[in-house]
Amino acid sequence: MKMRTLALVAGLGALTISATACSDDSSDTGTTDGSEETTGEGGGDLTIGFLYVGPKDDFGYNQAAYEGSLAVQESFPDAEILQAENVPETADAEVVMEGMIEDGADIIFATSYGHLEFAANVAADHPDVTFVHQGGLEGEEQLDNLGTFFGTVYEPVYTAGIAAGASTESKKLGYVYAFPIPQTLANINAFTLGAQSVDPDIEVIAVSTGSWCDPGLQAQAAQSLLDQDVDVLTQHQDCTKTIIEAAEAAGAMTVGYHFDASELAPEGWLTGSEWSWGPLYSDIVQTVVDDEFVDSPYNGDFRVGLQTGENPFVQSSYGPSVTEETQALIDEARQSFIDGSSPFAGPVSNQGGDEVWAEGEQPTYEEVETMDFFVQGVIGETS
Amino acid sequence: MSTHTAPDAVVDETSAGEPDVAPTTHHAPVPPPADGSPHDDRWRAAARATVRWTASIGAAVIIFAAFLTTQGADPVEALTAMWNAAFGDARSTGDTLLRATPLLLAALAVAVPARAGMFNIGGEGQLVMGAVGAMAMSTALDGAVSGPLVFALLALGGAAGGALWALIPAILKVALRTNEAIVSLLLNYVATIVLTWLVFEPWKDPLSTGQAYSTELPDAERLPILWANRVHIGIVVAVLAALAVWVAFRSTRWGFRLQVLGGNPEAARRAGLRVGSLAIGAMVLGGALAGLAGMLEVSGVEGRLRPGIMVGFGYIGFLASWLARHHPLKAVLASLVLAAIAVGGNGLKISAGVSGAAVNVLMALVLLAVLGWARPNKRVGAP
Amino acid sequence: MIEAVCVGAVAGGTSILFPTLGELITERSGVINLGTEGSMLCGALAAYIIGIETGSPWLGVVAGLVAGAGLAAVHAFLVLHRGANQIATGLVVTFLGLGLTALFGQDYVGQGVVALEPVAIPGLASLPFVGPVLFDHDPLTYLSLLAVPALWWVLVGTRAGLQLRAAGERPEVLRTFGTSPRAVRYAAVIGGGGLSGLGGAQLATAFTRNWSEGMTVGRGFVAVGLVIFAAWDPRKALVGAYLFSGAIALQLQLQAQGSDISRYLLAALPYLVVIISLASLSRRRLHAAPEALNHVFEHAS
Repeated sequence: MKMRTLALVAGLGALTISATACSDDSSDTGTTDGSEETTGEGGGDLTIGFLYVGPKDDFGYNQAAYEGSLAVQESFPDAEILQAENVPETADAEVVMEGMIEDGADIIFATSYGHLEFAANVAADHPDVTFVHQGGLEGEEQLDNLGTFFGTVYEPVYTAGIAAGASTESKKLGYVYAFPIPQTLANINAFTLGAQSVDPDIEVIAVSTGSWCDPGLQAQAAQSLLDQDVDVLTQHQDCTKTIIEAAEAAGAMTVGYHFDASELAPEGWLTGSEWSWGPLYSDIVQTVVDDEFVDSPYNGDFRVGLQTGENPFVQSSYGPSVTEETQALIDEARQSFIDGSSPFAGPVSNQGGDEVWAEGEQPTYEEVETMDFFVQGVIGETS
Repeated sequence: MSTHTAPDAVVDETSAGEPDVAPTTHHAPVPPPADGSPHDDRWRAAARATVRWTASIGAAVIIFAAFLTTQGADPVEALTAMWNAAFGDARSTGDTLLRATPLLLAALAVAVPARAGMFNIGGEGQLVMGAVGAMAMSTALDGAVSGPLVFALLALGGAAGGALWALIPAILKVALRTNEAIVSLLLNYVATIVLTWLVFEPWKDPLSTGQAYSTELPDAERLPILWANRVHIGIVVAVLAALAVWVAFRSTRWGFRLQVLGGNPEAARRAGLRVGSLAIGAMVLGGALAGLAGMLEVSGVEGRLRPGIMVGFGYIGFLASWLARHHPLKAVLASLVLAAIAVGGNGLKISAGVSGAAVNVLMALVLLAVLGWARPNKRVGAP
Repeated sequence: MIEAVCVGAVAGGTSILFPTLGELITERSGVINLGTEGSMLCGALAAYIIGIETGSPWLGVVAGLVAGAGLAAVHAFLVLHRGANQIATGLVVTFLGLGLTALFGQDYVGQGVVALEPVAIPGLASLPFVGPVLFDHDPLTYLSLLAVPALWWVLVGTRAGLQLRAAGERPEVLRTFGTSPRAVRYAAVIGGGGLSGLGGAQLATAFTRNWSEGMTVGRGFVAVGLVIFAAWDPRKALVGAYLFSGAIALQLQLQAQGSDISRYLLAALPYLVVIISLASLSRRRLHAAPEALNHVFEHAS
């Protein structure tokens, strides 16, 4: 039954391809692929589709994912990689995924939060194609061909917060963000807690632009933070360049996100958090190729952090002003995470002073991913 | 199309929201430019129009291909990919029809006010508010109603949302003579912000962990799917709306009055037409049509509200109306053409590695070709 | 706080003031151009690319001017030679600019910029309040500030200004003096597009130091609204541009100070400010409108 649908899909793909002389030169046979799944005529041996919500060269989230796809290409040189940028988080995403399947896709990486629902819809219609979604939670509805994965973003954000906390003189840090979604709130909180681990009096001012990439608003937001005597700027935005440039021009320090932007800010760069998706992407592809996806940890809500393995979210290189002592503090914190602690290990209180996690408590990955409050010391509103 | 004597029997639903204009005189003294010509001429005109369209689109495609070449894409391959994405098989064709649905209604939302001499560039915002209106209706009903009635109610909610949003520029225009083109355009940005607020605050789905979205419409409020897995009944609704507007334009008193108003407002006033309410009515009806499109998107495609829903539909609908020169039936074809280009953009993304936004170039070129082919000697600008 | 908002209004306002002035010239000649948004994008990208490729920000600025003017020339040709509808053509031209910049800009997203650096004016920049607000910006901001009185003077005190106004008010009179209104309108539309291009150039290479697809986010459309708000007077255009940009600065400043006013309301504020002022001033503004422009708005089909 499964094979029949497969043949149909492969046949459809072949039809489209031959009918349109669409270039498909991957007639090679030497892939590592052992399963019959991907031997549809004319469909190539292994085809992997990647969807990005923004441009693949945005110096940000999408570029990180794109570079992951390049690493996959390196690990699987015979595979055909399909790329789709600027895929909106609407039903349009389904159209793009269907198009990829028509082009022979065996595995689809949907890399933006808002793509999950659509990936799930398409996955239900195409049991022979494997879908992995970056960042979402599948919840109870488990499909055999769908999984989500993510790193624990907030770990390196916390350690970057330590660097910021050790460097600030004004004891005020600035955070530019888009929307108060749980991942962002967790990042802002982790950053704050990291900085407060150096000096509990440090405050973080959070300003929202209401957009993932509006450079004009970013420039104004950065300025409004600098006007509050903030001397370290960081952000959760998709395009990161404007804010880094603004900080550097004002002589303030910068903590990066998504990308090592130390070149943009040779003076003020402290450190940052960035993705290194390559190994995880490649491992997921290998799992599918080996026909072991079902029941693998990837066929569910896979989360990995220092507690459980190798976090795909890593800390960027240090800037010139980060001292040995600070680096030692950071190493210590990272070791504590490897040993089982969390950036949100209690006691943690919210803005109103109510204790959320008591001494000795810490949230699960799921609890972090549904975070809806700011911790004490953040100036800003979640609503 | 010269039946100016309006049979009162032909009062269709599209004019239901129209303010009462009955007590005015039967016939305005200034007849609109009659283009009722003998049949031969009409055929010749039709043939010429066909040639013109084909040539325009052909020229636009060739220039577009040249642009693609500069970006290192193989133009034949890229255009083939676009064609396949738009019409390659049943599913692709379905995607195109699906996209054409809101575009057609958004085009009518421009055509109706245009007949009365007004510019509605606010289709985008009216679509959004239509979606909001439908969602509000769904929330109010709370699942109490089902069957066909629920769709009528949701449509009412959507139309009301769009109509209210269009009422703002309409009233400002009539009462204060504020420029309706600019106000409706700027209101698009406000509508987007209202939507974001609703989705992040009062209507947020507690299960949305990533980018926020609203709760989902119950299954009973999802439009029936007709074809190709996704094409919902909305396409029929949109075409019926186009037919109704066409009939209303050519053979109702109201359609005639609009034309008089659009042709010469001063003459219309002297003829005793209630110019203000006519103008407001046209704009509001346009808004209601756009709002209906918003409802169809929510109930037929998306199932819920999310930020960035139907991005660009209102603007592309504006282009479609101009492509059709505000003729309701030609708007059907124009919407299909622009929908195909928009959907084709997905093929461009996947296969040619060219930014999907590049299809805007093709749309613009088609429009420029058609607009540029107009009879010179429209009084404006041509001294 | 007030000073910070004023600084933000000027710093962020330049990229709105330029297209507003450009559209003002265009409309004074009797043509409306909704392609300002597209001209801004073309100007932004051209300045960015040429700056990077040549290493000279000023060549970039010139390229931005030319690109904005080039796109406006498309509008001018269709409207003035082919009699195409102005509103529709303008929006189409914006689509064209959006698409072209997406196509040609994709290799430059996130690329290092050759920035137009701010230059503090010696002496004046250290004045309290006025110094930071007016005298510590990039050169294009100074240029925009100088452009306002210059344009006003051109409009009221020169032959070129007279011809421009005549093209918008009484083209037939202009014709009797042997000047072609069409030629004047061409110059106005293309020149206006050039100014919009400058606005884009300032946005990309000075204010944000970044290029990203669609980065103007409606600034060009706002400019069209501000022209009416300004009653076609460059001095009021300055007020309008700074009012809009000041509203943006205000909302971010309030957030940074921990204000609990709804962020959504604050985000809508700049647009609401423009709409409300348009509405409240519109009756008075109507008399100021170039005569030929009124024709445009009476003919939607």
